[in-house]
Amino acid sequence: MKRTGPILLGFVVGMLMLVQFFTPNPWIAARYNNVLDWKQVVFGVTLILGVLSLLLHHGRRIRRRVAGWSYSGVTVAGLIVMILAGAVFGKERGPYPWLFAYVQSPMQSTLFALLAFYVASASYRAFRARSLHAGLLLAAGVIVMLGRVPLGEMIGFTVAGRFYSLATLSDLVLTVPNLAAKRGIMIGVGLGMTATAIKIILGIERTYLGKGA
Amino acid sequence: MARGAWSARLAQGDRRILFLAVAATVAFPLLWPLNLPIRVSREARAFHAEIEGVEPGRVILLSFDYEPDTMAELDPMSLAVLRHAFRRGVRVLVMTTYAGGVGIAERVLAQAAAENGRTYGTDYAFLGYNPDFSATILRMGESLRGAYPTDHYGHPTGELSLLQGVDRYADIPLVVTISSSALSEYWVIWAGGKYHARIVAGNTAIQAVLIYPFLQTGQLAGMLGGLKGAAEYERLIGRDGAGVRGMDAQSLAHFLIVLFILLGNLGFLLQRRAARAREASP
Amino acid sequence: MSDPAAAGWFQIERLPAAIATLLFAAVLFFFLRQARRGRPLFIRRIAGLEAVEEAVGRATEMGRPILYCAGLDPMEEVATVASINILGQVARKAGEYGTRLIMPNRDPIVMTVAQEVVRDAYAAVGRSDHYDSNDIYYTTQSQFGYAAAVCGVMLRERTATHFFIGHFYAEALVLAETGNSTGAIQIAGTDSDSQLPFFICACDYTLIGEELYAGSVYLSREPLLLGALKGQDAAKAVILAILVLGSLLGLFGVEAGRWLGGGGAP
Repeated sequence: MKRTGPILLGFVVGMLMLVQFFTPNPWIAARYNNVLDWKQVVFGVTLILGVLSLLLHHGRRIRRRVAGWSYSGVTVAGLIVMILAGAVFGKERGPYPWLFAYVQSPMQSTLFALLAFYVASASYRAFRARSLHAGLLLAAGVIVMLGRVPLGEMIGFTVAGRFYSLATLSDLVLTVPNLAAKRGIMIGVGLGMTATAIKIILGIERTYLGKGA
Repeated sequence: MARGAWSARLAQGDRRILFLAVAATVAFPLLWPLNLPIRVSREARAFHAEIEGVEPGRVILLSFDYEPDTMAELDPMSLAVLRHAFRRGVRVLVMTTYAGGVGIAERVLAQAAAENGRTYGTDYAFLGYNPDFSATILRMGESLRGAYPTDHYGHPTGELSLLQGVDRYADIPLVVTISSSALSEYWVIWAGGKYHARIVAGNTAIQAVLIYPFLQTGQLAGMLGGLKGAAEYERLIGRDGAGVRGMDAQSLAHFLIVLFILLGNLGFLLQRRAARAREASP
Repeated sequence: MSDPAAAGWFQIERLPAAIATLLFAAVLFFFLRQARRGRPLFIRRIAGLEAVEEAVGRATEMGRPILYCAGLDPMEEVATVASINILGQVARKAGEYGTRLIMPNRDPIVMTVAQEVVRDAYAAVGRSDHYDSNDIYYTTQSQFGYAAAVCGVMLRERTATHFFIGHFYAEALVLAETGNSTGAIQIAGTDSDSQLPFFICACDYTLIGEELYAGSVYLSREPLLLGALKGQDAAKAVILAILVLGSLLGLFGVEAGRWLGGGGAP
């Protein structure tokens, strides 16, 4: 029952969610709404689970004074300060919005900004024309990179009296070969998703139980 | 320095030099603007036309599907869209699918509303954040008030004048998603596919590339891609902002990366030629 | 009601989707039966998965831990399910060799499932004593907060092998480049095609798109999973045939998309 129960529940709920897509029946629609509401409740509860896990993990690191335990201290301190700031002073004014605007936002933005530097170093190191295919990829990459910025509007060539900018070529690359490749991948991924969903509903795929297939 | 060592260093590159060059290239035009011309794309015009096509007084849904990490790229387009909507007298219902998006949405919404003299509850409302975006997007197709019994500030949504007669996607002429992730696709699949909502999307440049299939099939009515998309929209509404200001820096940065790639390949080719010469010599 | 315009028990405009679902399920069941009957089903070599043993072995030789990232998506997403399946196989190998496995998580449900999968994997190879739930923990829901936490693990724990298996977003390049700078061997697998180029640039092996879904099948060779994979391939062949036929008909001005419930090209 410990194993069969969840599989049976998965089958019932899975079939309900599948059937509701095809039928306008009000009773099924109401059950569908119930499932969606419960989904949000479960998600909220798991956030609490996550916070507890975070505290336990970093608490242990601090107690045992493992290498880098001070970073764990910063993590726990940050968590407690934000919770207290929101609970005591409210979310709309006081330290909570200030900490969000002047501490969290700049930190997150900075990490994202690192991508610009990483793209430069990764491109320099890995974007090599080792073969014909790699050369074509390189050419397409250069065209799209320049074509997607205003500079690309100014660079181009004239054929039969008509000016073709890199921006036009970039649009062509994005809307023809790129689109075709993306569609192929999307179809494959979609089939994979459908197959996995059918396997989960039928109990063939049991990873979500945490016990392996 | 021996030629071989020189080409090896060129092929390998030095991260410090690369990073410094990127930083200098981005900073330079922010201090001394180049004012490069900006061409408005077809997708941005389509996005603009959708907002233009909404009758004044009707309610559109705008979802801030991003967090502070991408706000430099997406805030300009969110602000431009809100300015456009408010200027046309279109009312806006705002939500976010990220906990970190709450602060961003409040800030941008407050700025746009103050500029246009709009009143909370009548001209706009902020529903806030709901955990689990999939359940939220799907639930809103059945009932907005069911998904959000209260707004972010605790007012019952049934009592907001903005939501009188508006309870599902069918009551909303346009859904706008400004997203840093695949959430635009989920809006198209769930809100568009299941509930036939009309959707336009603003994405980061990297996500925008993935959205083209939906644009071509008409599942998306318009699209803004990255900071350039924001710049294009600012030009369309006639009010330049951070999007236009960032275009010079982005242009030069892209040019620099292309230069790096070419230099790296030059080093690679020189190394390969040297290796072949060594193999050929006795 | 989901669609007030529709009447009765069935939304007729969704009939093509219903037929396609039933047909796909039928193809899937056919291959599942083939697999149950013991018929051998071929699966091509996938370099990234062949390298799993080598990658785990490298970490063991160096006496350093393995880092496993299951992506940023929640448990209900297919990529995460596939990643957890592969995690089970990787954990078995790690358990056999006695190598530490560290797994920071962005989602608490994924963390819970991963803890059970790894514990069972260690138990299956008789190394339950090696399991430490502290090594599989929750970090934060924030995308770049998670990336920062993982980079911190790479640099402080000096992990020798990195697995980035699942659905990733913009933080992919941050993770892959930081990992590359530490000299670790990196195996990535994602169905997020916007991040594939970054993983291909910075990782030693990359599983592309459906190779990720095939991963657990490939490593475990479980007959039912193999049958399901072959069923997907067969369905893809059918779709390919429909695409070719539709394109040919389109050349002659016949909009076949309308027969399938589509509106045709705008």
